[in-house]
Amino acid sequence: MTQTHIFQAEEIVAGYDNKMVIQEVSLVIPSNKISVIIGANACGKSTLLKTLSRLTKPVSGNITLDGKLISKIPSKQLARVVGLLPQSPIVPEGISVADLVGRGRFPHQSLLSGWTKKDYEAVAEAMRIMNITELANHNIDELSGGQRQRVWIAMALAQQTDILFLDEPTTFLDITYQVEILDLLTDLNRKHGTTIVMVLHDINLSARYADYIFALRQGKLIVEGEPLKVITSTLVKDIFGLDCMVIKDPVSGSPFAIPKGRYHVNNEKAP
Amino acid sequence: MKNESVGFIRAGRRQRRRRWIFVTGSLAALSFILCCAMLLLGNTIYPVMDVIRALSGEQVQGASFAVNTIRLPRMLAGLFAGFAFGIAGNTFQTMLRNPLANPNVIGITSGSSVAAVFCIVILHTSGAVVSIASVIAGLATVILIYVLSRGKSFSIGRLILIGIGIQAMLDALVSYLLLIGAEQDLPAAFRWLTGSLNGSQMDELPPLVLSVFIFAPIIIVLGKHLSILELGEQSATSLGVNTDKTRVLLIFSSVCMISIATATTGPIAFVAFLSGPIAKRLVGAGFSNVIPAGLVGANLVLAADLIGQFAFVARYPVGIITGILGAPYLIFLLIRMNRKGEL
Repeated sequence: MTQTHIFQAEEIVAGYDNKMVIQEVSLVIPSNKISVIIGANACGKSTLLKTLSRLTKPVSGNITLDGKLISKIPSKQLARVVGLLPQSPIVPEGISVADLVGRGRFPHQSLLSGWTKKDYEAVAEAMRIMNITELANHNIDELSGGQRQRVWIAMALAQQTDILFLDEPTTFLDITYQVEILDLLTDLNRKHGTTIVMVLHDINLSARYADYIFALRQGKLIVEGEPLKVITSTLVKDIFGLDCMVIKDPVSGSPFAIPKGRYHVNNEKAP
Repeated sequence: MKNESVGFIRAGRRQRRRRWIFVTGSLAALSFILCCAMLLLGNTIYPVMDVIRALSGEQVQGASFAVNTIRLPRMLAGLFAGFAFGIAGNTFQTMLRNPLANPNVIGITSGSSVAAVFCIVILHTSGAVVSIASVIAGLATVILIYVLSRGKSFSIGRLILIGIGIQAMLDALVSYLLLIGAEQDLPAAFRWLTGSLNGSQMDELPPLVLSVFIFAPIIIVLGKHLSILELGEQSATSLGVNTDKTRVLLIFSSVCMISIATATTGPIAFVAFLSGPIAKRLVGAGFSNVIPAGLVGANLVLAADLIGQFAFVARYPVGIITGILGAPYLIFLLIRMNRKGEL
C-alpha cells in the first residue's frame, strides 16, 4: 500500500500572459482515492492539473505536499511522490516499449548507473498492470493508439509515485479502450492505494469511475464531492450549459446524464 | 510469473546493450584505424617502424618532419574536431527533437566562423583570443536565434527557419571578410568556407583538445537527462528534470565545444548534422547516443579527409567531401519531413 499524503492547493491563481485561467481555487486532494476534474472546454481544468503537477507556475497561492511548498521540494524528490501523464506525450523515434517504460525510473536512478534490480522489477510490474508485458521488446512505432496509451501509463507507473495526475488519459481512444484504461487505473487505485487525479471529458464515465468530483466553471471550483451527491441536472446545466436528465446508471448505480437536445425528445416538438 | 517477465525484459535490454557495445566498440576501432592511416599515408609513405620512431621523438630523416609537423596535428585536429561536432550536433538534435535543429543548419558554426575569420584574417591574432571570440560569437548566435524565434509560444519550425536565415547572413559576412582580408590566400578561404585540416599546426590544438576534455564528459554524464528531455517539456518536468537548467548547461557545453572546433578547423560542412542520425541508426534508440555520435563525427572527418587527400588527382579539403555527403541527406530529410507533415 502506498503512503497517505496531504496534497492541497490554497487560493491558486494561474494562467498565461494577462489571462488568468484559474481563479483562486482551493482544494484538498482526497488521499488514496480517484478524483476527476470535470468542466466544459476552456474552463481551465487542464491548466489546473498542470498547475497542481508543477508544469505551470501559479501566479499566486500555495500548493503543498504534506505541508511543504512543492516549489521548495527538490524536483527529483518530488518526482518520486507525484507523477504526471501529459495529454500529448512525445514519442522518441524507434524506442522499444521496455526502454520507454524504463525512463519512468529516472527519479530513482543516479547519474551514471544502469538499471538496478529494483528498476527491472518496477518496469515489469508496471507493464504487468497495464497488460503490455508481451510488447516489451517491440518498437513503439508498431503499436496502436490504445496500446501506446497503456505504455505511457506504464511509464508513469514505473515512476512508482503515490500520487498520479493524468490529463485526459482516454482522449482519442475508442470506447472499448477508454473503459479498459479506466478499469486498469481503478485496479491500480484499489490494489496499491495510488491517489489518482485526472481530467476526463465524458461526464458519465467520470461519474462512474470517480470517488470524488471537482467541477470547474470559468476557472472557479463551483462544486466538489462524491458523484452521487454532486452530479445533478442543475450542475450539468451550470457547467456545460446543457439541459439534461440525470438518472441512475443501471450498470453501476452512479449518476448518468442524458442530454436533451432540440430534436428526438419524446412528446415534444422541436422549436 | 514475476521473475519470468523481469527475465524477458532483461533479455531484451541485454540484447540492445550488446548491440550498443558492439557498435560503439567498432566505431572506436575504426577511429583508431583511420588515425593510423592519417599518420602513415602522405606524399611519401614511410615504413611503419619509422613512423613509430618519429612519434616517440627519435630523429628520423624525413619522417620526423612529415609525421610530427604535418600528419600528427592534422590527425589530432580531425579526431577532436569531429568528436566535438558529432556530440554537439547530436545534443541539439536530440534536445530539440529535430535533425534540422543543429549547429550546421541554424548558423551557430557560421557565427563562430565569422569571429574566427575576423580575428585571424583581419586582426592577425591567434590562440586563446580566437577561441574566446568564437565561443562568444557562437553563444551570441544562439541567443539571437532564441530571441528572434520567441513568439507567443516556442516553435521549433520557427527557430529552424530563423536559424537558416541567420546562417545565410553570417556566411555572407564570412565571404566578405575573406574577400577583403585574404584575397590571395585560397587555402585560408577554403578553410573558412567549408572547413579544412590543411595547415593544422600543433600549437593551435590545445584549446580544442582542452574543450573536448572539459565539455564532452559533461554532456556524456548528462546523457540520461538528454534522453528524458527528448520526451518533451511536460514529461521531463514530471520526471524530475530541471529542464531550464539542464538545457542551458547542455547548450553552453555544446556551443563551447563546437565553437572552438570551428575556430580550429573551420566549419567542416554537415558533420554536426550527419553524426547524430547516423549514430542513432547504428545503435538504436534505447541507450545514450552521445558517445557513438562523437565517434561517428570523428570517423566522418578522418575518412573524408583521407578521401579528399588521396582519392582524386587534385587534393580537396575535408569540408568539400563532407559537403558532398551531407547535402543529399539534407534534401532527403526535407522531403521526408515534408511528406510526414513535420515541416
